Amino acid sequence: MTEPLVRIRDLRVDFHGLPALRGIDLDVMPGEAVGLVGESGCGKSVTWLAALGLLPNTARVSGSVALAGQELLAAPPGTLDRVRGRRVAMIFQDPASSLNPVQRVGRQVAEVLRLHRGMDDAAANAEVLRLFDLVGIPDPRRRVHVYPHEMSGGQNQRVMIAMALAGGPEVLVADEPTTALDTTIQAQILDLLRRLQQETGMALVLISHDLGVVSEMCSRVCVMYAGRIVEQAPADTLFARPRHPYTSGLLAALPDMVGPRRRLEAIGGNVPEPWNLPPGCAFAPRCGHASAACAAAMPDFATVGPSHEAACIHLENDAMVSA
Amino acid sequence: MTLLSLDGVSRVYATRRGLFGRPVAVRAVDHVSLSVEAGRTLGIVGESGCGKSTTGRLALGIETPNEGSVRFDGAAMPAPGTQPWRQMRARMQLVYQDPLGAMDRRLTVADQVGEPLEIHGIGTKQDRQDRVAALLADVGLRPDLGLRHPHELSGGQRQRAVLARALASDPALLVCDEPVSALDVSIQAQVVNMLTDLQQARDIAMLFISHDLKVVRQVSHQVAVMYLGLIVEQGDPEAIFADPLHPYSRALVSAIPVPGPRRRERIVLSGDPPNPADRPTGCAFHPRCPVAIATCTHTAPPLSRMADGRLVACHLADTHQRKAA
Repeated sequence: MTEPLVRIRDLRVDFHGLPALRGIDLDVMPGEAVGLVGESGCGKSVTWLAALGLLPNTARVSGSVALAGQELLAAPPGTLDRVRGRRVAMIFQDPASSLNPVQRVGRQVAEVLRLHRGMDDAAANAEVLRLFDLVGIPDPRRRVHVYPHEMSGGQNQRVMIAMALAGGPEVLVADEPTTALDTTIQAQILDLLRRLQQETGMALVLISHDLGVVSEMCSRVCVMYAGRIVEQAPADTLFARPRHPYTSGLLAALPDMVGPRRRLEAIGGNVPEPWNLPPGCAFAPRCGHASAACAAAMPDFATVGPSHEAACIHLENDAMVSA
Repeated sequence: MTLLSLDGVSRVYATRRGLFGRPVAVRAVDHVSLSVEAGRTLGIVGESGCGKSTTGRLALGIETPNEGSVRFDGAAMPAPGTQPWRQMRARMQLVYQDPLGAMDRRLTVADQVGEPLEIHGIGTKQDRQDRVAALLADVGLRPDLGLRHPHELSGGQRQRAVLARALASDPALLVCDEPVSALDVSIQAQVVNMLTDLQQARDIAMLFISHDLKVVRQVSHQVAVMYLGLIVEQGDPEAIFADPLHPYSRALVSAIPVPGPRRRERIVLSGDPPNPADRPTGCAFHPRCPVAIATCTHTAPPLSRMADGRLVACHLADTHQRKAA
C-alpha cells in the first residue's frame, strides 16, 4: 500500500481555551480527491489552516501533520514557506479578496513562479500565459494585464487556480471554491478542477458545505461535526448508505431534484457552541437515536464496511436507510 | 384568485460606463408578466443580475416600473411612500437573505416583532403583547428568546424572528428573497418546512426568489426562470425541473450538483454571466447557447405557450418538445 501524502493525526485546535478541532485523523493519498463536508463551525476549514500554520497566534494547535513524512506542525517558518504555495496550495471562497486589487493579475501569478520556481521574468511571463490558457481564461495575452475588479468572479477564481498551480502542488486544498459563484459558473469551475486534477495528478481536498458538490468531485468523503470527523467512506457508499445519524440527517434535510416532493426532514436544534459542547457524542442532543450511553463517552470510530468508518454507538441500520 | 399581478413591467436604470462614459440604459427587468394566486407560491430562479430581486421590489411597490403595471388584490399599486401604499404594505411583506441586516441591533426581538403592530396601529398595548407572544410561538421561538437582541440569536433563529415580524401585520403576500441561502443545510430544512406550514395555516401567497433550484422546487406551485431581465420559461415546477425546454433552464437544472450518482448529463455553459448593460442582440442567451441558430442572433424569441401549458421564450422550444414527445 502506498504511503499517504498528507497524514494528520490527533489534530486539535483551541481558540482561547475553546475547542475548534477535537482530534482529527485524516490521510490524503497521492492523486486522490477527498471531500470534507459539514456545517458552519464544524472545523472543516480550520483543519487545513492549522495544518499549514495559517491560524493566528491565539490558536493552540497540537497533534501531527506530516507531508510525505515531513512534520509540518512544529516546523520552522522556512520549511513552511517551502511547502505552502509550492507543495500544498490553497484556494478560497472569495477570490476577489485573495487577490491584490492594485496589481495586474498576470504579475501576481508571475510572483509565485519567481518565488517558488526561481524563474526569471521572461520565463515567468511565458509560464503565466501557459497557466492562464490551462485554466481556460480566454485571450490570456490581454487578460494578464487586467486588474481583479475588471474580471468576473468566475474569472478571478480561475486566476486563483492558476496561481495555485504555479507552484506545481502535490495537494490543492479548495475551501468552498464555488460557493460565491452562480450555478452555471460553478459547473465550469468544478469541471476545470476535475480536469486539472486528472491532468496533473495532484491530490484535491475539497472543503464544502454542499453535499452535491462533494459527491460530484470526490472519491472519498469525510463528514465533520463539532470539530470531529463523524463518518468517512467512499463517496458512492456514503451517499447510498450513510451510517452515522448526522450524515443521514443531512441527506434527508436536502430537497430532491427528482421524484415526488416530500416534507424535508429537518435536524432539530442547532449546532452546539464550542463553549457549550454536550458531554459524550456532540450530536446526541439532536439525534433521534440518542440514548443515555451517548452522553457517557465520545464514541470511537468503528469500521462498518470497506474503507467505511463511523463514530456512533447507534449506527443507522441498512434496512432503515434504504427504506 | 389572483392576488398579485405584474403586467408587462420593466425597470430601467441609467448607468455610466466609467467615470466619463456616456449613460447607458440597463433594463434590469424587461416586460415581465407574472401573477401570484392567493395562498400559492411562485418561485423565481436565475443567476445574479437576472432581475429576480428587482422583480420582487417591483411587486412590493418599492420600485416603480418604467413600463407596465402592478396590481395587488384588485387595485393598482399606489406610489411608494404615500399613505395608501403604506396601508397596502401591511398586507405584503419582504423577507430577505441577511436577517441580521434586516433587524435593529439595539432592539430586543419582541420589540421588533411588535413594531409593525404599532406602526399600523393594530390593537391595544396588551393585545400587541399577546400577539407578539403568539407570533414567536408560531415561528418556533421560545418566549425567553424574545427578550434577547439579534446578535444573541443563531442565524436560523434570526430568520425566524424576521418572519415573525413579517407576519405581525397578517400579510396576504410574502416576498422571500433568498430567505434560506445563508443558512446551514439542517437549519435550512427547518425554515423551509416552517414557511410551507405557515403558508397552509395562514393562506399566505409567496413570491419565492432564489438561485437554489432544489429549494424552489420544494416550495413552489409555479416557477419562472429569468435570464437578463426576461422570463425565459415559466410553468409547473415538475415539468420545468423534469424536462426544461429552454436551453438556459436545461443548463441550469443540469448544473445543480446532487448527492449520489448523477442522473442526467451535465451541460456546462461557456462564457461568463452576461452584463445587463451590454445585452446581446436577438435572444439575450444566444452567445452562451449550445443550440443557437442564425435566427437567434437577430430576433428575440417571444414567450410562447407550449402544448403542456408552460411558457417558453426560445425559437427551438417547439422542435425540442416535439423531439422529446
